[in-house]
Amino acid sequence: MPLITVNDGEAAFVCEPGDTLLRAGLRSGVGLPYECGVGACGCCRGEVGTGEVIDHWPAAPGLSDRDRRKGRILACQCSPVGDVQLRLRLDPAAVPAIPPRRRTATLVAVNDVTHDIREFVFRSEEAAAFLPGQFAFLSLPGVERERAYSMANLANDRGEWRFYIRRVPGGDATGRLFDTLKPGAEVGLDAPYGQAYLRAESPRDIVCIAGGSGLAPMLSVTRGYAARTARDGRRLDFFYGARTPADVCGQAELAMLPGYGEDLGFQVAVSDAEAAQAAGWTGRTSLVHELVEATLGDRLGQCEFYLAGPPGMIEALLQLLQTKHRIPPERIHFDRFF
Amino acid sequence: MKMLCNTGDVPAGESRRIELPGRPPLAVFNLDGSFYVTDDTCTHGDASLCDGEIDTDDGVVECPYHQGAFEIATGRPAGAPCTVALRVYPVEIRGEAVYAAVEEVETACP
Ligand SMILES: Cc1cc2nc3c(=O)[nH]c(=O)nc-3n(C[C@H](O)[C@H](O)[C@H](O)COP(=O)(O)OP(=O)(O)OC[C@H]3O[C@@H](n4cnc5c(N)ncnc54)[C@H](O)[C@@H]3O)c2cc1C
Ligand code: FES
Ligand code: FES
Repeated sequence: MPLITVNDGEAAFVCEPGDTLLRAGLRSGVGLPYECGVGACGCCRGEVGTGEVIDHWPAAPGLSDRDRRKGRILACQCSPVGDVQLRLRLDPAAVPAIPPRRRTATLVAVNDVTHDIREFVFRSEEAAAFLPGQFAFLSLPGVERERAYSMANLANDRGEWRFYIRRVPGGDATGRLFDTLKPGAEVGLDAPYGQAYLRAESPRDIVCIAGGSGLAPMLSVTRGYAARTARDGRRLDFFYGARTPADVCGQAELAMLPGYGEDLGFQVAVSDAEAAQAAGWTGRTSLVHELVEATLGDRLGQCEFYLAGPPGMIEALLQLLQTKHRIPPERIHFDRFF
Repeated sequence: MKMLCNTGDVPAGESRRIELPGRPPLAVFNLDGSFYVTDDTCTHGDASLCDGEIDTDDGVVECPYHQGAFEIATGRPAGAPCTVALRVYPVEIRGEAVYAAVEEVETACP
């Protein structure tokens, strides 16, 4: 099996056939930098010294023309052909608390959440081990390439994995999930990944902000917070950004948690003013970051933030939190759903 | 306007970090004799852009951490994973000195 050496011996790991450099490294407990795992964020950039790799997606948006000129590759999109010398900056924070593993899982239930989001429940033989807010790669029968989906539940011994998935018009994986896959179907599940997990030890108040299918990991983080053994004076505020009133979701799940309405708050903003009016929406009509700023006011600077959703929403939130309010990046944890 | 350094302190194609009390560090860039001042900390993580590589042809600085990039003159993100613009500050050269319109004091987050 190919041996991958990082920075002339700073780290080394073997790569199973078919695995990518990124995932093989993480499986071996090596802190390769990453965020999305799907070629979009650019965090896993590196250079190949000696050796050869197969690039599964040479046009990946995570690389700029300048990167390509400089011969850089994305560790999440490349598999080694033989031994490889890799150069990139290792990130101690990326060393996985739970090394990811591949397994088989069976679809056991599908539940409607909104007109275009469904909950998909899978079961695996061994325990479902992950931190609140992490994601898995699902490989679906008949779909080329795996897709990333975030767990909505908490780690458990029953081997249960719950996902909230939004149908993407014309999408390969979501088309398969919504139209063909029936309970009993087997899929490949490689998990856990992701660094936007709940920092249970942080004493700060928590703010979770979700847009669209970003609901899943924010539910998981909130469930992790609600599972703490004692009320400790902290609070969690959950904000959901929906396009239209028909897209609003999350309240039913949160209302079941202890402290709902007390130290667990839930607020929604609908962004499409026309749709809001047509539906007789009486709640807030704005972008979700405007709701967050208006609600939290001066408290904004003291909180720990968790964000999940479409790249545009995350960008608006980072602009608000980081550029405008100068909240340090280590207090903002996010996944962009590319 | 605040004086940050002398023009001679920042050779062409290089940068220099300036720490002022009570505000996040600044970066002074010299692109072929034109001076620019931006925040020094990358908007993607806790990295100093003055430790990064400057690409004079593109007018871009690359973050030493994940190699995200910014256009030095405008602060615009110019390479993943950076998506949030850097703050840039108006610059004035008075004699040999580099001045920038930075807010005198910024409230840091607790
Ligand atoms: C970290 C993360 C977590 C996510 N969590 C969720 C979640 O909880 N719920 C949810 O609904 N969605 C989630 N997503 C989005 C999800 O992974 C899919 O992108 C989405 O479901 C659309 O898939 P599709 O196959 O239906 O659409 P398609 O349009 O068929 O595929 C889109 C995906 O394929 C990639 N792609 C396109 N062309 C290529 C190529 N040539 N080579 C390689 N890749 C290519 C795109 O970048 C994109 O990731 C998440 C994404 C990320 C990155
Ligand atoms: S982790 Fe490879 S591009 Fe995002
Ligand atoms: S910290 Fe600068 S690109 Fe990630």
